[in-house]
Amino acid sequence: MGKEHTEEYSIIGKPIPRVEARLKVTGQAKYAADIEVANMLWGYVKRSPHAHARILNIDTSKAEKLPGVKAIITGKDFNGFTWGWSQPTRDEEPLATKKVRYLYEGVAAVAAIDEDIAQEACDLIEVEYEPLPGVFTPFEAMKEGAPLVHENRPGNITVEYHWNFGDVEKAFAESYLVREDTFQTPRMAKGYIEPPATVAYWPESDRLVFQGAKGSPYFPYRILSRCFKLPLSNVRIITPFIGCDFGGTKNDMTNGDFSTVMLAKKAGRPVKIVASQFDTLTTDLRRHPMWITMKVGVAKDGKITAIHNKIVSDGGAYTRMSPLTHFLTGICMGMPYHLPNFKHDVTCYFTNNPSSAAMRGHGIYHTTFARECLLDMIADELGIDRVEIRHRNIIKNPEPGTIYETINNVHIATAGTEECLTKVAEAVKWEEGKKKERIKGNKAYGMGFATGTYLSGTQLSAHNACAAIVRVCEDGSVNYLTGATDVGMGSDTVGCAIVAEVLGIDLKDVDIKRVDTAFTPADPGSYGSRVTVLAGEAAINAAEDAKKQLREFAAKKLGAMEEEIVFKNKQVFVQSNHARSVPWERLVRMACYDAPGRVIIGRGHSKRATDLHTLADFSTGKGDIGTNYSFTAQAAEVEVDLETGVVRCTDNSVIAHDCGFPLNTQAVETQVIGGSYHQGVSAALYEEFKMDKGLTLNANFVDYKRPRAYEAPMTEVLHVITNDPFGPFGAKEASEGSTCSAPPAIINAIHDATGVWIKDLPAQPEKVYWALKEKREKEQKKEKKK
Amino acid sequence: MKDFGYAAPKNVGEAISLLTELGGHGKVIAGGQSMLVIMKQNMLAPEFLVDIKGISELDYIKYDKKKGLNIGALTTHRTIERSPVIKETYPVLSEMEDNLAVVQTRNWGTIGGNLCHGDPAGDPTVVFIVLNARLKIRGTAGEREIDIEDFYKDYLEVDLNPGELLVEIQVPPPPPHTGSAHNKLMVMKGDMGIVGAAATITVNPADGTCTGARIALSNVASTPWRSRAAENVLIGKVITGELLAEAGRAASAELEPPADVHGSSAYRKEMAELFVRRTAETALKRAQAQG
Repeated sequence: MGKEHTEEYSIIGKPIPRVEARLKVTGQAKYAADIEVANMLWGYVKRSPHAHARILNIDTSKAEKLPGVKAIITGKDFNGFTWGWSQPTRDEEPLATKKVRYLYEGVAAVAAIDEDIAQEACDLIEVEYEPLPGVFTPFEAMKEGAPLVHENRPGNITVEYHWNFGDVEKAFAESYLVREDTFQTPRMAKGYIEPPATVAYWPESDRLVFQGAKGSPYFPYRILSRCFKLPLSNVRIITPFIGCDFGGTKNDMTNGDFSTVMLAKKAGRPVKIVASQFDTLTTDLRRHPMWITMKVGVAKDGKITAIHNKIVSDGGAYTRMSPLTHFLTGICMGMPYHLPNFKHDVTCYFTNNPSSAAMRGHGIYHTTFARECLLDMIADELGIDRVEIRHRNIIKNPEPGTIYETINNVHIATAGTEECLTKVAEAVKWEEGKKKERIKGNKAYGMGFATGTYLSGTQLSAHNACAAIVRVCEDGSVNYLTGATDVGMGSDTVGCAIVAEVLGIDLKDVDIKRVDTAFTPADPGSYGSRVTVLAGEAAINAAEDAKKQLREFAAKKLGAMEEEIVFKNKQVFVQSNHARSVPWERLVRMACYDAPGRVIIGRGHSKRATDLHTLADFSTGKGDIGTNYSFTAQAAEVEVDLETGVVRCTDNSVIAHDCGFPLNTQAVETQVIGGSYHQGVSAALYEEFKMDKGLTLNANFVDYKRPRAYEAPMTEVLHVITNDPFGPFGAKEASEGSTCSAPPAIINAIHDATGVWIKDLPAQPEKVYWALKEKREKEQKKEKKK
Repeated sequence: MKDFGYAAPKNVGEAISLLTELGGHGKVIAGGQSMLVIMKQNMLAPEFLVDIKGISELDYIKYDKKKGLNIGALTTHRTIERSPVIKETYPVLSEMEDNLAVVQTRNWGTIGGNLCHGDPAGDPTVVFIVLNARLKIRGTAGEREIDIEDFYKDYLEVDLNPGELLVEIQVPPPPPHTGSAHNKLMVMKGDMGIVGAAATITVNPADGTCTGARIALSNVASTPWRSRAAENVLIGKVITGELLAEAGRAASAELEPPADVHGSSAYRKEMAELFVRRTAETALKRAQAQG
């Protein structure tokens, strides 16, 4: 089915080179840190040396006297403004005024003629603090009488959910086997190489221009409008190329973002702030560390009867996106395995650590890790093959036209997990492999499996707006305007390809206009794997609208019915007689000149984000957070050095991925390999911020490890095509789901190789070493007893 | 980074007089691969940088069968790694360099800069210790030579007086039937070893006994660590697997290694035992292979 489907299209469904690749590799692409504006000043943020302290006084007088200093601000300049992810969670100030809640939180900022002077002036600002006792783990935060991070938040609770579906207790009581274990996921860096950077200026006293590395530019659009009491029409956010995000900081605001705008206002000159790597790694948003206690009941045949999650999470100093993160830990538990009873208790706590937020595989990552490891534990205990136990539980791909509904009312039209799992097991020859000797000399080899799922086209309630404009220029070239952003994943290319495909023109004929809130339609940006699915649909609708206008004109010119007009390969012709045709350029020119004042502008928006089924309800855990859902199965092989504990992933790894229909096969493959397999290897083996009372001990990429080309094994990507009816051209999200399957596949592989369970990520050498040693010593004791 | 003064003298004489003039206020920078990292983190804010990277008279590798190897202090890691004469006569140096950081660092970083940084986790020092190397140091008072082992005083502290420069590393020719090896515990290729070890073993081909052994460890103490205890286990005996393990245990027993984000003290202790065993075993095989 997939193959025929591909042949219908001229552009999509094939490997498409990125539209911006040439600009990026020749250095012409401008990122936020590259932007220079005439008369520009440099800003720098003064940060707190305490993780938790009351601010008693800020004295800027010495800094003011430093030559070259043009403006100094403190939090008080913002007149009590607070902001947050949603209206009830506005708990953060642009710069702290009364209290700092994490180490290096911004308390003041300086604009000066160069960065060194701005930095020196920050050193001259004298801040008097009263240090307060802090809480640095959720377990400290939950204690009776623990210091409060926010005085109005008793118990330090950021957010909690308690959902209950079916009868979990009864199901456990009737289960053949119930297994419970606790797993731990660490705080992780997003790892973007491009630093957060902003340039802001006020062309007139009531008009703001903000150019920043923002994956969700309409967030600062709304937040800055409110902060500076400007009508939205006067807030212009212009988005340059963005050098990666992976969720979080580039969706949200930073101390530096607010500071540039306020400093520019005060100095009456443009101001630029570029975060250093140290700032980035100590203050930017991280993946939530979570402690996931999961209890799984199964029947004798390994079929899951019930799951109960009890999750404790560290949200850091401010709420940020935590309400969404923790909702996501549970909402997709009903897939990819059939789950008849489900209970979910999750609590996130404030601590005096830097705030946690979205990161690839947002929320789902944590529970997938726990569930996939537990499934292997259960399989071993029941003596069922580890692939087989998954097959027994997998939700079958629904027949076309039918919908599978999970116990918490999530609706799935397509699910290729079964095919994914079959394919990866065959690709790594598991039937032979499982019988192989695991140990060779001082090395052990093992294979692990896991599946994953992820939502696409996140439904963000009030922020769901997603539209596109397709403007056909008189020479036949096309401007595609979207509020969506490409943070590196290739959505600009997919959007252009969709417009070109619908209009029957070449990819090079379509020019994407990146976000400029003065012209592009409002959009949540890169958030929740929504761009391809929702902005893609909007692009189809806008291109169809432009085509409709041209079709009317073509029908008149060619003397045919409108329905008969076909646009393909830059020709416009009558379906029944291809000779009756007009070249695309000529038709456009005629249409544009036909009547004075005529312009061809197509408009379209995404309807699916709001039309489908039931919108998700955070309090009950019911409903659709996604428009549709991707599925993945992964097999990964590891090599363990039994004497050192060093684990290496080998090339013998396969990911099968159901993204509905890959609009750009090359982009899907590179994303799955680089953006989820390698990121997953990294999460499984290397990455963790080590902390000491709010201080990040490894805030550099020497001590915070990520794999480079030497360590990054290659994987094979297999496409499983399910053509989802709710995605543009059948597409669903690509590669967030596969971010979730990598860590458990690798941890399961370590267990397969050595028999030890590493339940707290990452499997760094020392951890593996002690686990191996403990196992060896236990075995030796047993031997002695014999 | 804080502002600093800067000068780039063209020869050793100029550098020494400038450093002498600056008293303790001048800081020497060569490739800067270690120093710039800590300067960027504001852990070091020198008033004045004396950049010696451009002094070409210290960039050389000389080899003489009788005298051995002489390496100019400003020779880059990459030059050492790729030197045909080093590959042939002191392959352990190429082996060590291949795992030293990344190519970009090796292209710019110098051997002398590395040694003078005084990091107990550095790779070259332990290899030079087991190769029995000496250092030539020049100052206003003239030249002096010291055993590399005596160069290291404390954490990031070496035996250099203000106004002195390390100019050359001298490696004697190895005795016949000698093998050397270097290995370290890396999570990733090029990592600073969580623990590193170098070994040189000499055997008597007639009866197979070990006539000489030098063993040194990196990142297990405040300075590079030579383990005479491990050497003494091997010297005078026919080395067996059990003896290698005993040497590892002997090395480990005398250590109280530091802890950091990459490993606890206890883990380092166990890894010291393992890496002494592993490198000594490789060195032994290489010695025996010389027939």
